[in-house]
Amino acid sequence: MYLNKHQQQMLDGKHGRGSQKAMEILHAMGEAREAKKMVEISYAHLMPPDVMFFPFGRQGKWGQELMRDLIQDIDHLSVPATIEPKFVDLNIAKQLEFSEDEIQEMNQIMESAVSFYEKLGVIPTYSALPFFVYPGKLNQHISIAESISILWYNTMFGSRCERDDGVISLSAAITGCVPEVGMHITQNRHAKVIVKIKDELEVNNFADSDFDALSLAISRRTKEKIPVISNFPLSVGKSYTKLKHLLATIAVESGLPLLHMVGITPEAPTLEIALGSHHKVEEILIGEQEIREAYDIACTARENHIDYVLLGCPHVTMQEFMEIIKIIDGKKVHPNVKFIISTTKLFRDTASDMGYLDILKKAGVIITDSMCIAFAGTRVKGTIATNSIKGAFFYSGFDQTKASPVWFGSTKECTHAAIEGKWIGGGKYGCS
Amino acid sequence: MDVLKGKSVLKKHSIVEGKALVVKDLIAFWAGIDWESGDIVEVAHSGRGQNVTGKILVFPAGKGGAGETFGYYYLYRNSKAPLALLCNTVQATTVAGAVICGTPMIYGFEKNILEVIKTGDHIRVNSQKGEIEIFKEYSM
Repeated sequence: MYLNKHQQQMLDGKHGRGSQKAMEILHAMGEAREAKKMVEISYAHLMPPDVMFFPFGRQGKWGQELMRDLIQDIDHLSVPATIEPKFVDLNIAKQLEFSEDEIQEMNQIMESAVSFYEKLGVIPTYSALPFFVYPGKLNQHISIAESISILWYNTMFGSRCERDDGVISLSAAITGCVPEVGMHITQNRHAKVIVKIKDELEVNNFADSDFDALSLAISRRTKEKIPVISNFPLSVGKSYTKLKHLLATIAVESGLPLLHMVGITPEAPTLEIALGSHHKVEEILIGEQEIREAYDIACTARENHIDYVLLGCPHVTMQEFMEIIKIIDGKKVHPNVKFIISTTKLFRDTASDMGYLDILKKAGVIITDSMCIAFAGTRVKGTIATNSIKGAFFYSGFDQTKASPVWFGSTKECTHAAIEGKWIGGGKYGCS
Repeated sequence: MDVLKGKSVLKKHSIVEGKALVVKDLIAFWAGIDWESGDIVEVAHSGRGQNVTGKILVFPAGKGGAGETFGYYYLYRNSKAPLALLCNTVQATTVAGAVICGTPMIYGFEKNILEVIKTGDHIRVNSQKGEIEIFKEYSM
């Protein structure tokens, strides 16, 4: 693999041990993927484990140890960088059933990591949706460590990023480059399978969670092949909230970095262009039956009783705030339910300016920002309602002795559940 | 015995051998596998209930959030990692896990390994050559 002079110097340790370690990792990644050279990046989104990935107990120490070599003598980054949410807002950690000891430990591990990255000049987004702060450009090479954002930058902007994780994205931010593999190369970006939405699905009337279900249905069929959705109504591309629900789910359930939508995404003006050199590809049909099956997979709860309503995986958008407000204004969250909304600092400020936060607080809703409700919510005991299949994936995964039963449905259904204390359902395709 | 060639993630000399666990669905090392036990725990996953620890894990590709690498790393630090990873398709967060933990990983074989290898087959993985030898269960 070819390295230019500056990259070789970093690998030789002439710029310090941290950048040497970063280049060793990127070089190994490049060799593993048979890269010819590195490509320069202009932006990175970071995902440090000691900020986000259960920063307490054994895994807290493991996370610190993993990053230690990389950050030991780093005092600046080569490119602008944003950062993932923190694991949990320590002010509400107790409500999510973390112990005092764990909270203290998280305070040490997470806060020292946070202050390190802020000193480096990282833009403190603490968001899984950094494109609201740092939008991408067509053909711009970047390094992103957050599955929905990887998909969003590739799909919606036509920027170029692989599925980089926390170690790779930090290495990329330190060195300013990544191996030229995968999504950085034009011919790898073409679709390999066509997805057609059956006429029986009225996509224009979809509830937000229907996009999650559609996305799960697509993921389970296309697996690791990049799909192109050939007949989506253009309205899908005009709603950040619809796109968030669509992209978040497929990102986790397929491991894909890119999805094309004809007439909506920049690299798919036509079906032919999206397919590139791929001809005679498989065609997959998605209809009502497939959507219902996806809901059935995501809903693991059997009893209607609800203990938690957790919204914000990824962060609650303004559209979702509005839907919640419409239903909850003047009402109260059921006394047996904890209703927690997790958003970004930006959206929280906007929601506050619009008077939404007052209404929500009056109703008994707990509002937080800059944290990962999907990870932090894995500790609670009881039944969870969520509007996110990505969230449901985490709540029902990990350690099975601690996994929670989940009701999955639209923002509206979740808000009604919070008020009634039980799952009512009512969605066209959903669980009830 | 069959021999298959693919692309190796680790270029250094390393030969490991063990029993194959073949899983037909994509695997998420973050949340899809319990890092305390090595069990596949994902809901509606065809490999649910199987244990990956010490196995030659044969699967189509990795999936999951970008935290998949940390999931693999936690599994490895907890001594519950597979012995080697064999995939049809390369997925960056899975490669990063293998690179960071030094787990032998080979991908991109000339044949669909999910069809060639059966659970229980004995596999020898040669990282330097990017080669696997498959000894069918009944011949051992």
